Amino acid sequence: MWKFMLPMGAFVALAVLFAFGLNPNRDIHALPSPLIGKPAPLFSLTDVMDPARTVSNAALKGQVYVLNVWGTWCVACRQEHEALLDIARQNVLPIVGLDYMDQREKAQQWLTQLGNPYAAVAFDTDGRTAIDWGVYGAPETFLVDGQGRVIYKFISPMTPEVWQHDFLPRIQAARRSGA
Amino acid sequence: MKRAAAALAAFGAAVLLGTALAAASAPAEPARALDDYGQLEDPALQARFEHITEQLRCLVCQNESIADSNVELASDLRRQVREMLLAGRSDDVIFKFMTDRYGEFVRFNPPLEAKTLLIWGAPFVMLLLGVLIVYRIVRQRSRLPLDDEPAPGSM
Repeated sequence: MWKFMLPMGAFVALAVLFAFGLNPNRDIHALPSPLIGKPAPLFSLTDVMDPARTVSNAALKGQVYVLNVWGTWCVACRQEHEALLDIARQNVLPIVGLDYMDQREKAQQWLTQLGNPYAAVAFDTDGRTAIDWGVYGAPETFLVDGQGRVIYKFISPMTPEVWQHDFLPRIQAARRSGA
Repeated sequence: MKRAAAALAAFGAAVLLGTALAAASAPAEPARALDDYGQLEDPALQARFEHITEQLRCLVCQNESIADSNVELASDLRRQVREMLLAGRSDDVIFKFMTDRYGEFVRFNPPLEAKTLLIWGAPFVMLLLGVLIVYRIVRQRSRLPLDDEPAPGSM
């Protein structure tokens, strides 16, 4: 009996492994964030548009917000910019930007020319805030609930579909639970 | 039987020698990414710096360590490791700092714990399975009559 079961078992195990491993929709570079469910790392940085102003996420406590990590060097960020502008127009929640590995002048130019979807953009001069958030590329988009906990991370350019399917339900759930 | 054992021993010795030769002839050090600041002054700290940065995966290139990678993130993380070493942090604290932010995947050598038991245990399980299979085959065959032995009753 086990002479038959052994190859059968091996086959099933391989089939499961391949179904998962060879799935073309799986992004092999997307890593699960250990931050999910944990308090969002606090930052207090200068504003890209106005160096005299500080942008701090501690001030956002009590609100559900999105943190979008981007840079003018990032082609995929250019690609998602339209989607972000569109989301900002819906006025669902504040989008906070984190400008990463960038030059201030270039970032200012980008926002004036392409439009500014952000409530505020923090300027991460030396990449330390990005390290705290476990950022390893751009764009990365985090969702933070009213208690200041990270509840979702999306790695890839934002699209209206992703916003609809992955973000809106989580935002509503976070608001319903009073968090 | 004796001959088989001798052949096995010779094969083992050849493999060992081959590995040793390959190791000896391999380039002494892979290329290292360089930062503006030079080496750490304390050689013990520098050794720990090299050990830690070789153990941390660069998440942009994923198959390179942050010691080897030239991307900006790797350089930022090297700076972080360097600063933590200078501040007197232990290796464990530095590794925890990294896994808290980037997850276990950032370590090339995952620690042995309940979650990683499968990774560490799989080779031994497979070895055991192989031994078991070989043992069964050998035992089955040793029960068969030898070809040159007349079958009982055929006289």
